[in-house]
Amino acid sequence: MTDNRRFNRVLIANRGEIALRIQRACRQLGLETVAVYSDADRESRHVQEADIALCIGPAAASRSYLDQDGLLLATRATGATAIHPGYGFLSENADFADAVEEAGLTFIGPTGTSIRMMGDKITAKRTMLAAGVPCVPGSDGPLPESPDEILALAEKVGFPVIVKASGGGGGRGMRVVHRAEDLIEAVGLTSREAQQAFGNPTLYLEKFMQKPRHIEIQVLCDTHGTALWLGARDCSLQRRHQKVLEEAPPPGIDPAVIAEIGERCAEACRHIGYRGAGTFEFLYEDGVFAFIEMNTRVQVEHPVTEQITDVDIVAEQLRIAQGDRLTIRQEDIVFRGHAIECRLNAEDGLTFLPSPGTVTRWDLPGGPGIRVDSHVVSGYTIPPYYDSLIGKIIGYGATREEAIARLQVALAEMKVEGISTNIDLHQDLLANPTVRKGSMDIHFLEKWLEERAAP
Amino acid sequence: MTGSASQIPSFDTDEIASIAGMLAQAGLESFEISGPDGTRLFIKTSQPEPQSETRHTQPPLSKKTNAANTCRAVKTPYFGVLTFTHPLRDTPFAPVGSHVKADDVVALLTLETLQIPVVASVDGEVIEITAQEGELTGFGTEIMKMRPTSAA
Repeated sequence: MTDNRRFNRVLIANRGEIALRIQRACRQLGLETVAVYSDADRESRHVQEADIALCIGPAAASRSYLDQDGLLLATRATGATAIHPGYGFLSENADFADAVEEAGLTFIGPTGTSIRMMGDKITAKRTMLAAGVPCVPGSDGPLPESPDEILALAEKVGFPVIVKASGGGGGRGMRVVHRAEDLIEAVGLTSREAQQAFGNPTLYLEKFMQKPRHIEIQVLCDTHGTALWLGARDCSLQRRHQKVLEEAPPPGIDPAVIAEIGERCAEACRHIGYRGAGTFEFLYEDGVFAFIEMNTRVQVEHPVTEQITDVDIVAEQLRIAQGDRLTIRQEDIVFRGHAIECRLNAEDGLTFLPSPGTVTRWDLPGGPGIRVDSHVVSGYTIPPYYDSLIGKIIGYGATREEAIARLQVALAEMKVEGISTNIDLHQDLLANPTVRKGSMDIHFLEKWLEERAAP
Repeated sequence: MTGSASQIPSFDTDEIASIAGMLAQAGLESFEISGPDGTRLFIKTSQPEPQSETRHTQPPLSKKTNAANTCRAVKTPYFGVLTFTHPLRDTPFAPVGSHVKADDVVALLTLETLQIPVVASVDGEVIEITAQEGELTGFGTEIMKMRPTSAA
């Protein structure tokens, strides 16, 4: 049964909840798992449960989860022949994806070429425009040299504009300019910062959308030319460009509109020969979608899509990497109900400072429509070296109201001691009239937090 | 190894043996190079005398056992297949009862053509081997216990 498979043993090059999520999908498909971990993650749950566990380095990610050579050596030493990078760390590192494949191993993700194309924001945008995906009006390429030309371009697009680094992303390397007289100085400053931060001073310019929502489309593509879109997610509730709560489908957007944009994303994937799971991120304002970037990996918030489509995205990633054809067709994908994910962070509820330490109590919620994805167990010590995500609670219901009600019960049931968490923040958000109404813009959470903090 | 071989010095056992031969001819006792990520290749030329010396000093040391209750663990600086004996030698680097100096090679981690030395952190006596020869061993694994000379 296993003879004609490309790989039977998968090395999971990640940690935390996503490592456990990948391990579960591997097990379900009869694949063995190798957990590689840093010295700080010895007691992690997926490490304990892996078929093979190997500590590859100290806590510093540069010498463990980001150590490309070490990961390749560990893969061969443990007899694994495929690597799942999860999200973060090396998941969107084109050179690593290439190195894995050059070593004769399978990278469970897109090709290095696709990752590189989407990593450069100007190339990504040009590719999307060519494939018919709507983009934010702007320079559609690198900014010209001459200040007069830059100014003319900005006037044509219309102020306010946002100046962005081509090598940036995730909220880094960008500056909003409201007035023409501030533009040239802002361009100089952003270019110098971009050179320092990304080693690439190239900038582009876009119209700055004032109150957009963050809407994204999940895609899944096999290596036989099939590209599917799995609906949209609304991830507008963000703090410092970090998503806090995500939901699917996006409230108040006509499914026909989403279907149209979804099909364009799938078409773009066919156009560039994309492979695996991916996400097209858009700003959405006044009924207009504008592409901002594509994430070439599985995302933290993938469970909300899984809940409403009944597609196991991580298992599909594994099947696609085996070279299998997608067995689902677009017309089989039906969106049922509503799902909301609350990201649980080990952080102070008011200051948002990380709160690492030993979890002395960890009582999980349950009941219909409640899913918990977490690597934490009672007695587990959250190390201070990595991000503060300790799990996700996903509430599903026939309607958005039912999903919210179930989540409220679940969050009240959840008891965590020994560390601080943002459970109260999620309770406050789910009780907030604007959130309950839906359709918040991406600035809502930060404004709300500011108002709450004001005396 | 793909790409950045500069990160870890990469030698096969033949090359290490030939470097060791040149060192012995030149009358040098050891050779060490470090990579930017902290990994090192450490070669010590054959020294038959200390082995017999350690045997001689064993009786006085057993007297000191009670005083020296502080054991030091020798931990692996990387991961790899663990060997306590150099592939080209018959005798182990540091068997139980032997005395080693800080930075002496006590074991090797092998990964493909890479050999990463595991070195003693202190001068002292090897009192217990705590890891399995030939096993794929992770970073930071305790492979032996030592009784430091200074603690006696």
